[in-house]
Amino acid sequence: MNQDSAVFIVVPAFNEAASIGATLNQLSTTGHQIVVVDDGSTDATPSILSRFTQIHRLRHPINLGQGAALQTGMTYALEQGAGYIVHFDADGQHRAADIERLLEPLFADEADAVLGSRFLVAEHRQRVPPMRRCVLQAARVVNYLLSGLWLTDAHNGLRALARRAAEAVHFQENGYGHATEILIQLARAKLRVVERPACILYTDYARAKGQSTFNAVHILLDLCLGRLLR
Amino acid sequence: MTPIQYLLIGAIGFSAALYFARLRSRKRDRLVVLFVSVLACACVLMPDWTTRAAQIVGVGRGADLTLYVSIIALGLMNLVLLSRIREIRLQLTELARRHAIDQAGPPQRQMR
Repeated sequence: MNQDSAVFIVVPAFNEAASIGATLNQLSTTGHQIVVVDDGSTDATPSILSRFTQIHRLRHPINLGQGAALQTGMTYALEQGAGYIVHFDADGQHRAADIERLLEPLFADEADAVLGSRFLVAEHRQRVPPMRRCVLQAARVVNYLLSGLWLTDAHNGLRALARRAAEAVHFQENGYGHATEILIQLARAKLRVVERPACILYTDYARAKGQSTFNAVHILLDLCLGRLLR
Repeated sequence: MTPIQYLLIGAIGFSAALYFARLRSRKRDRLVVLFVSVLACACVLMPDWTTRAAQIVGVGRGADLTLYVSIIALGLMNLVLLSRIREIRLQLTELARRHAIDQAGPPQRQMR
């Protein structure tokens, strides 16, 4: 595989000692480049990462947020000559097996950005807890109003971007607001966005680590404030 | 002058002096602070002015007008501060990002 078509998987990690090892073991089977951005973890995450010698390791000196960590990983991957960039959460909610399915439309040049969706396949859809489903429906509407993209899912952390899409994106939302921000920026750059099925594994750990339902309100406030103060 | 006027003028003078001595800001900001301080002193010394202004805009009492204006000013100041904090946070993020990328540990080549 030449440099232009190199796939870089960016994994933001903040205090993920319990899951990062398993996530990286899973990812190492894909054969792609792996970039882990340790977002200033204070647990055993750094020492676990040091055991993986085949990955690119970056560390924020302070905790900045998931959006900031993803951006750091993307900037680094672009500088390393990445042809494609995949976003993958560290908490074990994604399956490495879904990555290839997301990359297919990019390799075929049918899309510039591919977003994972947990609502395209009945089997994936049934895994989503009812409360989470309601919040995600509301988030879809918010995303549509802000970006003009009507999607089946919202805030799914699994995405694949072609190089030109990654270059068009620059997160200013350091927190979780980046999931909406990326849609706004992709739409503004008039890039081709498609969705592909991606299962979310609602493990107890991922649910405890992930966003609480109430957090949705904070994300919305962040986004509005960000737009207002730009 | 009444005791409260001495107290208020003193407080305004002290805040303004502190601002000019400690905070180095843009010329425009300094002019705004100077203007507001002078205006505040004038309102304290000449309470009739605020009453007259209040009657013109239909509020009635000068004290009420001052309260309304203060609330709006406070809200605006909050927004200005928030946007400053946002700006600083963006700079801090860029700095941390550059540091992380410069210190990146690339994969170690496997020994054959």
